[in-house]
Amino acid sequence: MKAENGILRGELKVRGGKLIKCRMKVKNGRIEEIKFSGDFFMYPEEKLEELEEMLINIELKKEKILPIIHHFSENVEMVGADADDIVKVIMKTITN
Amino acid sequence: MTRTTEIYLHPFILMEFRLINDGWRDAYENMAIDEAILIGGTPTLRFYKWRPSAISIGYFQSMEEEVNLKECEKQNIDVVRRITGGGAVYHDSNGEITYSFVCPQEMLPKKIMDIYSLICSSLALGLRYIGLDAEHRGINDIVVNGKKISGSAMTRKYGNVLQHGTLLLRVDVKKMFSLLKVGKEKISDKEIKNVEERVTSVEKEGGVLDEEEIKRALMGGFEKKMHLRFYEGEITQEEISEAKKLREKYESREWNFKR
Repeated sequence: MKAENGILRGELKVRGGKLIKCRMKVKNGRIEEIKFSGDFFMYPEEKLEELEEMLINIELKKEKILPIIHHFSENVEMVGADADDIVKVIMKTITN
Repeated sequence: MTRTTEIYLHPFILMEFRLINDGWRDAYENMAIDEAILIGGTPTLRFYKWRPSAISIGYFQSMEEEVNLKECEKQNIDVVRRITGGGAVYHDSNGEITYSFVCPQEMLPKKIMDIYSLICSSLALGLRYIGLDAEHRGINDIVVNGKKISGSAMTRKYGNVLQHGTLLLRVDVKKMFSLLKVGKEKISDKEIKNVEERVTSVEKEGGVLDEEEIKRALMGGFEKKMHLRFYEGEITQEEISEAKKLREKYESREWNFKR
């Protein structure tokens, strides 16, 4: 975890896959803003923006984040990373 | 494999594909034309090059995290975000051939990985025709002697598929990595510290360097593997005017710096 101007950063290299980076602002234990980036593939691409919005104001606890991402992953096809990797990179960002 | 199975696997058997043997264009025009062709969906293989040299980043990448923007400005390198995912690529004016492949989604397998396999193995077969021991490896790489020589990225939109990618003719790794910010974690995973050890080019591998011959070989790979037949064509007026509109997006700061 690297904190810079209140922004947390983390990254995960998926074994045999791609890189996911996470940039996050946290306020009172909740996600205030979150952005993912990396060289993975997701279809349809625009869905990632929807996920980033869905995560706003969610409590930073694995049991709160996990169902949101798993539900989200039902409607997308990912290559080079999967739903669990998204959860992992979030947890890595906050609990390094 | 019986003939019938092949027809079942590739319903576009002897499908006619337009070949656009394009030359140099700038990054924004190249990306706009690829998207314009994707919108139209005419089965097309386009070969093209980049002038000025440019860096394209994947749809999900952060421009600032991936690209050394100061250095790009200094060296007159354009930067553009693609509509396809994947990684950042340095497109040298004289160092590569870029291809883009478009066709309706129903002509290709349903699974993304199966599409990559089909297109990348066609390209690898083409490269074997020019004397390179090429194979599709991983998700979207083509390697020769274990080193990457080509990378591709794909999107599905408007009911069609676009896959575009590059073939390295010659490579200046030092220049490439002065322009890109390469994450330490990405390299360490591959257990190779020196990037020069993981990238190669047609020149380095001793392949044929005549560009027209290379393109013909790549087409041959598609013809054999995917049962395509090419006819020489042009970018249509409709595609040109669509690309003119799209160019504004690719030039905009809003698009390029959205992540």
